[in-house]
Amino acid sequence: MDAGQDGGGTPEEWRSVMIDISGATLAELVEEDTSALAHALRRVTDELDRQGEPIAGFNSAI
Amino acid sequence: MRPQPFLLTDTAFAALGAGRPDSDTLDTLRRAQLSRTLLLLREIRRRLPHTPAWYSRLTTAAPDEANRLIADPMTALWAAQALRAGNEATNHDLPQPGLPLTATAQDQILGVRVEDSSSVRHGLGLPPSAPLTTAERDHWQRCLDGAWQILASRHRPAAEMLAAVLKVIVPVRPDPAAEGISATSSEAFGAVAMSSPAGPAALAVGLLHETQHSVLNATNLLFDLVRPGGGPGYSPWRDDPRPASGVLHGTYAYLAVTRFWRTERTAGGGSGRAAEFEFARWRVAVAEAAELLIGGGELTEAGARFVAALLDEVRPWLAEPVEPEIERLATLARTDHRLRWRLRNLTVAPDDTAELAAAWRAGRPAPAVTSVLAPGTGRALENSPRLRLVRSLVKGQDAGQDEFAADGDAACVRGDDGAALRAYEMGLEKERDHDLTWAGLALVSPRPALRSRPEVVKAAAMAAPEAPVDALADWLSG
Repeated sequence: MDAGQDGGGTPEEWRSVMIDISGATLAELVEEDTSALAHALRRVTDELDRQGEPIAGFNSAI
Repeated sequence: MRPQPFLLTDTAFAALGAGRPDSDTLDTLRRAQLSRTLLLLREIRRRLPHTPAWYSRLTTAAPDEANRLIADPMTALWAAQALRAGNEATNHDLPQPGLPLTATAQDQILGVRVEDSSSVRHGLGLPPSAPLTTAERDHWQRCLDGAWQILASRHRPAAEMLAAVLKVIVPVRPDPAAEGISATSSEAFGAVAMSSPAGPAALAVGLLHETQHSVLNATNLLFDLVRPGGGPGYSPWRDDPRPASGVLHGTYAYLAVTRFWRTERTAGGGSGRAAEFEFARWRVAVAEAAELLIGGGELTEAGARFVAALLDEVRPWLAEPVEPEIERLATLARTDHRLRWRLRNLTVAPDDTAELAAAWRAGRPAPAVTSVLAPGTGRALENSPRLRLVRSLVKGQDAGQDEFAADGDAACVRGDDGAALRAYEMGLEKERDHDLTWAGLALVSPRPALRSRPEVVKAAAMAAPEAPVDALADWLSG
């Protein structure tokens, strides 16, 4: 997903596909049931399902 | 509640791609990761019929304390593991914090925790070490002090980024095939798994490298940078084939590594020639990988913008003068890696191999054959005896004095291509199925087929063992 841009050249602002819920408390979120939260959760849990190898391999010999 | 997307100006996004995110951008990434963990914890809680102790703890703590706990990388790792594992794990309490380590230099403070006993620490993907002994902990502290002195005094922007992102180090067991190994997981922003560092500089560059991965993981949560579905290909820092997303990770991490050595080579810290070599080696690898990503068609619009900014950052470094002998060794190391990668990961289909042998024996021109990826070779770190010789030479040690060095390798690294060629040809007369010797031969041979497609020459030589290698290489170069 291309950050929800409008197309046509480089945008002035890049809009994420993830929503900002950092200002909410956990208790508030547990009570809340919206499609936006469901969509964001899918993005996060899809990543969990795709869990592959870690980003590993730096050989720090100098 | 009307949650909004995160926004980054194009200027901020380009600076992020260039590996120079400002504090506002880092704060955005932190809030995104906090949002991610909140979503995971919410889901775990909603699946439980009762209130677990961890939930009561997080919801009764003061808001700042709750956010600190939820934003912790080990909480994020715990939540991901618990959600994946199911009911029993979701009842467990949050991980207990490990040992705090602090380093101070130039009025900059780095505070991290060493997580050497947490039950979730294996989630970073590498086998964790046993809990540290006092001597091991002292070694980490000394290395951290030294690394932080280097970073805070000479790499201030990188040090500020590290201080803002890095929260946890998980010591892991050393890998016998590597000289120092580290890893990052997208499930634990700000946590790094790392084997015991060789010294302060190795720790400094290792932490920068892994923190870049953490920053890119956080960016990937916000923006899709690579379209899914592409096949694996060449990566200059791994011996196995990598998808475009993996190549992007390596490119971004080595951008920070290259910048580190670019500064160190003029810093007078005693690592001048070694730093010059690392800079010369990686600046080209990063630029070439970025160009391949841009030309590969797998980047999204956001990904293309991100990598273009990365390339803009590294491109001016290509014009900076480097001592010719160091440049020669850096080019040798890069070319050696590409040749060994081809020999390890590419092969010729059996029918094509048979056709090559038949054409050779019939005196016909070489048929066109296509190299294909060899099946499942698995994750592999770079490991080359020639690279060790190169590093010795860079440090001023005579490569010919290494009693374990093969004759061809010592000559190759010294720049004596004629002697190396003879040694490698003799080596292949004795043993044809030896990739390191093939790569060495390809490094010093004037025959184009060996340089461009060593795996095809090797396949022909294995199928027609009576044919002289140099004659086959000429035939395939025609």
